Amino acid sequence: MANARALDKRRKSIRNIRKITRTMELIATARYKKAMDRAAAATAYTDQITKIVSRLADAGTDVQHPLLEQREKIRSSRVLVLASNRGLCGGYNASILRTAMPHIKQVRDEVANVSIDASGKRGVNGLKFRGIETDNQYLQFEDQPAYDEVEKIANDYLAQYITGKIDRLDVIYTKFISTSKQIPMIETLLPLGSLGDETDASSNAGAGGSENSQYEFLPSAESILEEVVPTSFKVKLFKCFLDSAVSEQVARMIAMKGATESAGDMIKQLSMTYNRARQSQITGEIMEIIGGVEALEG
Amino acid sequence: MAIRCVVVTPERTELDREADFIALPMYDGELGVQAGRAPMIGRLGYGVLRLQTTAGPQRFFVDGGFAQVEADVVSVLTARAIAVDLLNTDEATKSLAEALELPSDTPEQAQIKETAVHRARGQLRASR
Repeated sequence: MANARALDKRRKSIRNIRKITRTMELIATARYKKAMDRAAAATAYTDQITKIVSRLADAGTDVQHPLLEQREKIRSSRVLVLASNRGLCGGYNASILRTAMPHIKQVRDEVANVSIDASGKRGVNGLKFRGIETDNQYLQFEDQPAYDEVEKIANDYLAQYITGKIDRLDVIYTKFISTSKQIPMIETLLPLGSLGDETDASSNAGAGGSENSQYEFLPSAESILEEVVPTSFKVKLFKCFLDSAVSEQVARMIAMKGATESAGDMIKQLSMTYNRARQSQITGEIMEIIGGVEALEG
Repeated sequence: MAIRCVVVTPERTELDREADFIALPMYDGELGVQAGRAPMIGRLGYGVLRLQTTAGPQRFFVDGGFAQVEADVVSVLTARAIAVDLLNTDEATKSLAEALELPSDTPEQAQIKETAVHRARGQLRASR
């Protein structure tokens, strides 16, 4: 029979772990709410950008820009992997790496010159473990990525793309769909392909048509387009960072909730075993006493 | 008659209030907007956004972006909107020096440098 004292010790340690996981769950929940609000605020900006693009298209502007066009020959490519700085968030980092590895392998087969950037310690270490060295490492992003910092990275990529150092940029991140669903995604951000969401643009264009407002473009539609495209890239990249941050917090919340529940179950199980062990110990002692008394009487 | 001014950055809605008059720092000069202006979309430069409100004047430094005027609502989309009082002249001077140090060997690099210089100059002007 198990030692009652050892069981009690184990039960206590599990109780302490449960306290920690429950606290982590609460913190993750609070951070998730904050991150969610920021993501919602960013949507207001993207909506406006999409509106401007649809107005430009309405006005008959030819939407063309070097950033939108696929390059004929891709000589060098860059992959940005967005993971988290901290662990204990369930399968979040594992699923990102699971998506990233085949993609990196495939790109390396197609393109001679591929460099990998990673955000988050877990991402950097995970890739290193799998034998992939990272070029740039961004470790400054926590639950609230700042636009200023993302913009710096975006400007770097834009400069590299414009000067021809890279011909393609892929971002691997976790897209947040709902609290119960986040999927790892591979998105090609450079060249951009299209501006905004196509469906959004068409619906907005319809609304604009009915209002029948004629817009004046200052200084010219072309000049605005010149600015819209890079801005739209920056915002898209920022959105990737925001989505990753929200998904990380959700993943942590769910993982910690599971851990707290499992700890509760384990404590219940251990309490039962502990009680049984104690009872059998008491029974054993009583039997010994009775045996002793009987021996004396005999 | 008042117009509504909404300043949106990717992180949050920075400002949403009524104003009597708004001066937008456009790419090629300042543009004043009063109630009843025709719809317009414009490209912003790096400069000071001025608002004439009932509570008094307000000034913000905006870091490029776009402005859209429609039905007495002015929406300003910008990467950053900072109240002018919070700008630091020393920092702006430093960023201008940094921008002037950038290489300009190819047309692309020259363009990047030009943008950086424009931004730094705008910030410096606003901070004074």
